[in-house]
Amino acid sequence: MKILIVEDEPKTGEYLRQGLNEAGFVADLAATGSDGLHLALHGEYDLVILDVMLPELDGWQVLASLRRRGLEMPVLFLTARDQVEDRVKGLELGADDYLVKPFSFAELLARVRTILRRGRGSGLDSNVLRVDDLELDLLRRRVSRGGRRIDLTAKEFGLLELLMRRQGEVLPRSLIASQVWDMNFDSDTNVIEVAVRRLRLKVDDGQSIKLIQTVRGMGYVLEVPQEP
Amino acid sequence: MLRRLSLPRLSLTSRLSFFFTLVAACVLLGLSGLFMTAADRHFSDLDRSTLQDKQHLIDDILTSANSPEDLRWRLSESLNHHHGLFVQVTTQTGQKLFETDGFPATNRWLLLEHETLLHALKGGRHGQRQYRVQQFHANAHYAPEAPLVIILATDTAHHQHFLDELLRTLGVYTAAAILVSGLLGWTAVYLGLSPLRAIKAHAAAVTAQRLQACMPVQAVPVEMADLAQTLNQMLERLQEMLERLQDDFRRLSEFASDLAHELRTPISNMLTQTQVTLAAQRDNTAYRDILASNAEELQRLARMVADMLFLAKTERGVDLPHKERFMAADEAQALLGFYEAVADDKGISLTAQGNGSIEGDRLMFRRALSNLLSNALRHTPAGGNVRIIVIALPNGTEVSVENTGEDIDPEVLPRLFDRFYRADPARAHPTSDGAGLGLAITKAIVEAHGGRASVKSAQGVTCFSLVFPYSDE
Repeated sequence: MKILIVEDEPKTGEYLRQGLNEAGFVADLAATGSDGLHLALHGEYDLVILDVMLPELDGWQVLASLRRRGLEMPVLFLTARDQVEDRVKGLELGADDYLVKPFSFAELLARVRTILRRGRGSGLDSNVLRVDDLELDLLRRRVSRGGRRIDLTAKEFGLLELLMRRQGEVLPRSLIASQVWDMNFDSDTNVIEVAVRRLRLKVDDGQSIKLIQTVRGMGYVLEVPQEP
Repeated sequence: MLRRLSLPRLSLTSRLSFFFTLVAACVLLGLSGLFMTAADRHFSDLDRSTLQDKQHLIDDILTSANSPEDLRWRLSESLNHHHGLFVQVTTQTGQKLFETDGFPATNRWLLLEHETLLHALKGGRHGQRQYRVQQFHANAHYAPEAPLVIILATDTAHHQHFLDELLRTLGVYTAAAILVSGLLGWTAVYLGLSPLRAIKAHAAAVTAQRLQACMPVQAVPVEMADLAQTLNQMLERLQEMLERLQDDFRRLSEFASDLAHELRTPISNMLTQTQVTLAAQRDNTAYRDILASNAEELQRLARMVADMLFLAKTERGVDLPHKERFMAADEAQALLGFYEAVADDKGISLTAQGNGSIEGDRLMFRRALSNLLSNALRHTPAGGNVRIIVIALPNGTEVSVENTGEDIDPEVLPRLFDRFYRADPARAHPTSDGAGLGLAITKAIVEAHGGRASVKSAQGVTCFSLVFPYSDE
């Protein structure tokens, strides 16, 4: 998966590129609007991450040019402006998502994956999600581990479903609050900690393999640990 | 385009004095003119009756004259000693029969008015003398069939002299009177406008520090009392505005200093931690720990910045982004779902009751209520309870969050909604509540909806209330 980053702040751009490369993407960096447009037109990218304030051409102009030339790859905007009008303008021009600085890298990564997955279709046709010996049945709304049934509240079920659907991805607390509880603002992150702790107690307690892990400073991930 | 005729920019005093003088001049000149005309008419009447008398006299002489010699003799007897009266008697053929001494030597009489007023030109160089002249025909007794032409003229020089004198006197008097009335007018206007100067003096004393209403309403005439009153009202409004600005400014500067304080602790923590870590060789776990710790700290800072931006934007009073009507109970239920784990964890019962509709931004409302719940759950001891109570009011909806726990000091209550205010100053390290901005954000959201936030605390129950009014339309 190829991602183009258009960002004029060198440090931010470089770290974004490094982070995305290490997350398994091929990421290129352009520092100006016109360089970015040029690369985007010829590089066959799967996603463009576009800063709004750019030298030469701003993010909106770049996006408009891309769409005018029939390029429909998803675009994620980064901006320091927290204005509704900006958001509306970006979305009207055909941006797919919008992230306000300062944002956490985990958040960006989660959004990038969401957008790319959206493009591919869900890819999860099965009604049963499985990680190791943990099973989640979406239709019957049942969870079991090693064949033993686990009783979850509705929200715990939602949380586990999210973690399992995106296994191996570190999910920031804000994303979890937004996806599971529809809290689309910076809410009390303590709530997520408590909820994950309680879920972990039901899923991982007494198991030799702990599936739900905390990544300090970033969020939570559900995966089979590499070093047992 | 019609341009208004404008005087050059004169002071009010000059303007009024000018008009006053103009009026005085008109009146005085009018009177003088009237006087002169009257005098002139009086003299011409006098002249005319003199000439009339002489005509009768000449008629009498003619009626009794026996011969031209007799006529000449009698005319000179009776007329020659009349000073300023000139008579000429000629036959119709132009033969001169009699002429008094000094009869104006002229080749033509200049007809000026009607037949009776003729001017004589005499000796070009000596200028013009004026005579009142009467010409008539009469028959002498001795020659009834041949009428004689008689010209009577009276010199009007002494009258003219008098009139000239009068004109000069009147001119001087009028000029002096105009001058004096101008001065008097100026004085009157100057004295009359003294209240205006009083107002000006008061206005000059107004400064940003002394904006009190100070115009002397009682001391000035009624016409200006209105003006003074209006000025006072304007000053009051300015004063209010100034106080509000000063208040804003003070809050702003407090905010800036609070902000610096809030940033100082986490930054100094991170700096120390990072530098200590860098000072010696360590294993990967140690580096990972310090980076994770920094990330947590930085997330908190990012959160604080985002909260402050939101607060600034909301307090600035922007239009609500997405205005809609929704039920408060739905939002309360969603939040119960969010907080149930935390409440359960702490052994707190968390419930909601009542319903009412809210007109406003759903996301902002949810955020406001979420902050109250978060705050209540943090301060409720284990085994306590937190209730959301929604009450529909006639013109809005009141949403309250009530929790059991220790009473809050009444002195502290009003400050709870302040930015960065923490009831417990000892708690130096902010928890996940976003650095004490939660309640300030809640208040800003309610106020952006035209409502108000309040808090009361008594008998072991603390209750935060938000009133969301319906919009007026």
